Amino acid sequence: MKSRISLLLFIMMAFLAITACSSDENSEGKAKDEKKEITIAIDQNFVTLDPHNAGDTVSIFGTRAMYEGLVGFDQNMEVIPVLAEDYEVSEDALEYTFKLREGVTFHDGEPFNAEAVQANFDRIMDEDQDLRAKRNFQYVDKMEVLGDYEVKFTLNQPFSAMLNKFAMVPFISPKAIKEDKDLGLNPVGTGPFQFNKWNQGDSLVVDKYADYWGEDATNVEKVVYKPVPENGSRAAMLKTGEADFVYPVPQQNVKDFENNDDVVIEKTPSTIARYVSINTFKEPFNDVKVRKAMNMAVNKEAYIDVVKNGYASILDSTMSSETQYYSKQEPYTFDVEEAKKLMKEAGYADGFEAEIWGNSSSETIQGMEFIKQQLAQIDIDVSIKSMEEGTLSDEIYTPETPEDAKVQMWYVSWSPSSGDADGATRSLFSSEYFPPNGANTAYFNNSDVDKWINAANETSVKEEQADIYSNIQSTVYDEAPWIFLATDTILSGHTKNLDGVYVLPDGSVSIKNATLK
Amino acid sequence: MWQYIVKRVIGLIPLILVVSFVIFMFIHLIPGDPARLIAGKEATIEEVQEIRVSLGLDKPIIEQYFVYLKDLLTGDLGYSIQSGAPVSELIGERIMPTLGLTFISIIWALVVGILIGVVSAVFRNKWPDHLGMVVAVSGISLPNFWVGLVLIQLFSVQLGWLPTGGADDWKSYLMPSFALGAGIMAMIARFMRSSLMETMKQDYIRTGRAKGLGGNAIVFGHALKNSLIPVVTIAGLQFGFLLGGSVVVETVFSFPGLGRLLIDSIQFRDYPVVQAEILLFSLQFILVNLLVDIVYSFLNPKIRYQ
Amino acid sequence: MSDVQTEIMPEGAVSMKEGKLSNFWKDFRKKKPALISFYFIILLFIITLIGPYIVPYDPAAPDYNKVLESPSLQHLFGTDSFGRDILSRLAVGARISLTVSISAVLLGALVGTFLGLISGFFGKWVDRAIMRVCDVLFAFPDLILAIGIVAILGPGLKNVVIAVAFFSIPSFARIVRSATLETKEMLFVEATRSIGASNKRMIWKHIFPETVPTIIVYFTMKVGTAILAAASLSFLGLGAEPSSPDWGAMLSNSRDYIDSSFHLVFFPGLIIFLTVLAFNLLGDGLRDVLDPKTKD
Repeated sequence: MKSRISLLLFIMMAFLAITACSSDENSEGKAKDEKKEITIAIDQNFVTLDPHNAGDTVSIFGTRAMYEGLVGFDQNMEVIPVLAEDYEVSEDALEYTFKLREGVTFHDGEPFNAEAVQANFDRIMDEDQDLRAKRNFQYVDKMEVLGDYEVKFTLNQPFSAMLNKFAMVPFISPKAIKEDKDLGLNPVGTGPFQFNKWNQGDSLVVDKYADYWGEDATNVEKVVYKPVPENGSRAAMLKTGEADFVYPVPQQNVKDFENNDDVVIEKTPSTIARYVSINTFKEPFNDVKVRKAMNMAVNKEAYIDVVKNGYASILDSTMSSETQYYSKQEPYTFDVEEAKKLMKEAGYADGFEAEIWGNSSSETIQGMEFIKQQLAQIDIDVSIKSMEEGTLSDEIYTPETPEDAKVQMWYVSWSPSSGDADGATRSLFSSEYFPPNGANTAYFNNSDVDKWINAANETSVKEEQADIYSNIQSTVYDEAPWIFLATDTILSGHTKNLDGVYVLPDGSVSIKNATLK
Repeated sequence: MWQYIVKRVIGLIPLILVVSFVIFMFIHLIPGDPARLIAGKEATIEEVQEIRVSLGLDKPIIEQYFVYLKDLLTGDLGYSIQSGAPVSELIGERIMPTLGLTFISIIWALVVGILIGVVSAVFRNKWPDHLGMVVAVSGISLPNFWVGLVLIQLFSVQLGWLPTGGADDWKSYLMPSFALGAGIMAMIARFMRSSLMETMKQDYIRTGRAKGLGGNAIVFGHALKNSLIPVVTIAGLQFGFLLGGSVVVETVFSFPGLGRLLIDSIQFRDYPVVQAEILLFSLQFILVNLLVDIVYSFLNPKIRYQ
Repeated sequence: MSDVQTEIMPEGAVSMKEGKLSNFWKDFRKKKPALISFYFIILLFIITLIGPYIVPYDPAAPDYNKVLESPSLQHLFGTDSFGRDILSRLAVGARISLTVSISAVLLGALVGTFLGLISGFFGKWVDRAIMRVCDVLFAFPDLILAIGIVAILGPGLKNVVIAVAFFSIPSFARIVRSATLETKEMLFVEATRSIGASNKRMIWKHIFPETVPTIIVYFTMKVGTAILAAASLSFLGLGAEPSSPDWGAMLSNSRDYIDSSFHLVFFPGLIIFLTVLAFNLLGDGLRDVLDPKTKD
């Protein structure tokens, strides 16, 4: 019988051997190219296709394949005109006038004009609809039609990120709005691709729109988005050629892919800041010395190597280098002795026990394990609580006051939805945005910073805004309400015969230039 | 007989009501707030509250249950919080792939399981028996997400024979049904083996053997026939477990079925979808059980509930 | 998860009555897979006891210069993404994994047996009520039940134990109920009753002992299921503390490395597989020996 067990072991080992050797068959991918069809594998499901209600990154870029706004983002997240030919901002930063592009039609044949803009504006501002896009227009007082192809928006206060917000508002065919079909399921826009079908949780299919107004930048007839949550499966799809484009590529697989001639890996710096927020309201974290010690006890280079497989850069500010008005700070150096000294000065020479929270993704779990190992060097005994996302958000956002909050450390990331400095600052560091009102889970409370955040909006002079945000960043960085870890590098991969599909720094996939060789 | 069936069916009504209540409460007990998840990270408390009101989540939980129950009784499963699509449509889209997957899993599990069971019983305590049981039991001894990932590595990545996931053609059903059916196969093999051994011990078989029939003939003649009915019944009962159990397998193979819909909806606290789906699982479980009870009581009137 | 809840125990009691311990051992020895499994499990228990003292490396100590090393003489099973020795972690983790699964099944068995005895003995509305509750529990897909329980109670090993215990309750209750029913019909219980023994006495003195073999067999098999269930909870990020060397946590946390560093996923998978297999085969063997219906 012993021999039988060893036989079993042998079979397992043989299996291991087979799996370890490689073969590169790619026949399936090729057959598909003839039809000019591409498959894009992503890690999450689309939630909705209503462009005025999409909030998660995946739904936003899904809708962007079919929809366009007055302005949009280029590959570096700079704002560029799209459905507006041109725009003007008044001296006082309160009036935005857009000259609309002529000759643009929606996928249902309706013309795009000032009337269409009005219909969309009315829909967004309609209280009953509760649309997410309303938040982009929170400072917009009114909209006026100045001509068939000219509209003006008037703000009730200057807002530094207003243009970015316009880029977040795509336009739906006024006919579709009027017919009031479920717009989340039946998208009709002006984009280079039009809706074909959406099997929720399985695939979204879009077709090239023949009458697109812009240049003919794509030779792809059909794009299939497939949500594949499991990292291993998604990587496998790129390898087998089942997917032509994969985002995100699991970092563990990158090295392997780099030796693969059929696959190209793209690395894009992102607006995603990764950090551990420290509840500054709670003892012992209310002592800035403790927070600084924590920052010094964490070896960021090792973090990037071990947890990120080298694909990240040190977070040297409160926001990523890709964000508007980013200003570089001097990162906390890794120095355990110095950190211990600070702990001693703060009265915690023997350390303390603490809890770190995070979601249940395998990468977050790795990150939390790393933090635990690092903080052990200064005798902080961290226990890890990984929670399912919904539970976690409940734990974070339910407490009504800072006193009730149980969160101590939260391993998390933040990416401002439109790449603007306001979005990367206000809800994270303003004392008005403690949970449940915002995401200031560090309970960071600094009256200067509060004041500056508002002041930045009140001026329309770019240099002044840059100065203010620079002040905010240096003040906050010095107060160490977070353990500043890293800025993610976006890893995407595509087969070598596909070009022009790319990921923006905010993590959205653009297909409008997709080209098959 | 008819009286018994009618009685059992009527008895189901309170059970279903209780189940629907338990499901509702249980799901709402799970921490998490769909309004918060819809509103997103930059939302203010007012925005979250507005969404809560528009979803009716601000009302007392009991009131919410009665609203749900009223809709349910009129056949309205409601709308997905996440996408706004009708729940019946969402489930309708997903039910066929999952049924197909389950069916294929059960079929191969039955064929292989019965085969192993028969071999094992015939060669009792000899090496084919040991080998057969080790193979069969392996099926319920492997974490199925692990099996799934290893299968993908082997058959998709290394050999390039099968697609990694989806439900596009018959090929994409092979690996998930293997991972899903392995457990049932083990169970059927074990059950088949013991039930054959049991039948073989019974007297009339001894009589048959005395008459001089060959050993194999006996096995395939009497014993097999007697053992098949309970085996098929057991397999049928497993149908429900498979539906519920496809969650992990469907996630690994990105299979667009009910299991994955359930996981996605739970993550989003999409109450109407989760409720409808669990209720569906429970209902089919209850119905299959009822069916089995009725069939058995038909065969053996002693079993009937007094 | 135990997505396949294997109710393989046929309705019916197994009995230890006719065999004395030596007879039992004689029969059991013939079941080679079960015998080997038995030794394997004994070995596991020994490792559980002395593991932490004999492992070559500190299972928690990271070494960032030695991450993801393939198996070698220094590290027989290689190192993980933090440079920790996988063999040492598995050896120390045996304690966690076995404790969790055994205590979960024990808890489930206690409650389930109690309910099953009462249900089977008293019959009538008690039986109906308990069995209906079991139906409701059964009707819930157990993975969902477990996710819900862990979500409600919060993460942590204690709650994993409760969640896993919870869904083994109804199956124990059913098995014990039918064993009880059969025993009850047996003559001697009727006889005892006519003598006038109290209910309590009858249940504990006469019926319960008869159901014990059934419970032991079923218990053994359920331990395997419980190990897998705990691993699946880890797969969904709801299991043991991720930094602990729990087998399920090790397996699911390393799954992103399946392509690049297969040993990370292979060894925890292998040890889970062997352990669960051993418990299942042992259960099978015990059942063969203890069940008079299939005994030769």
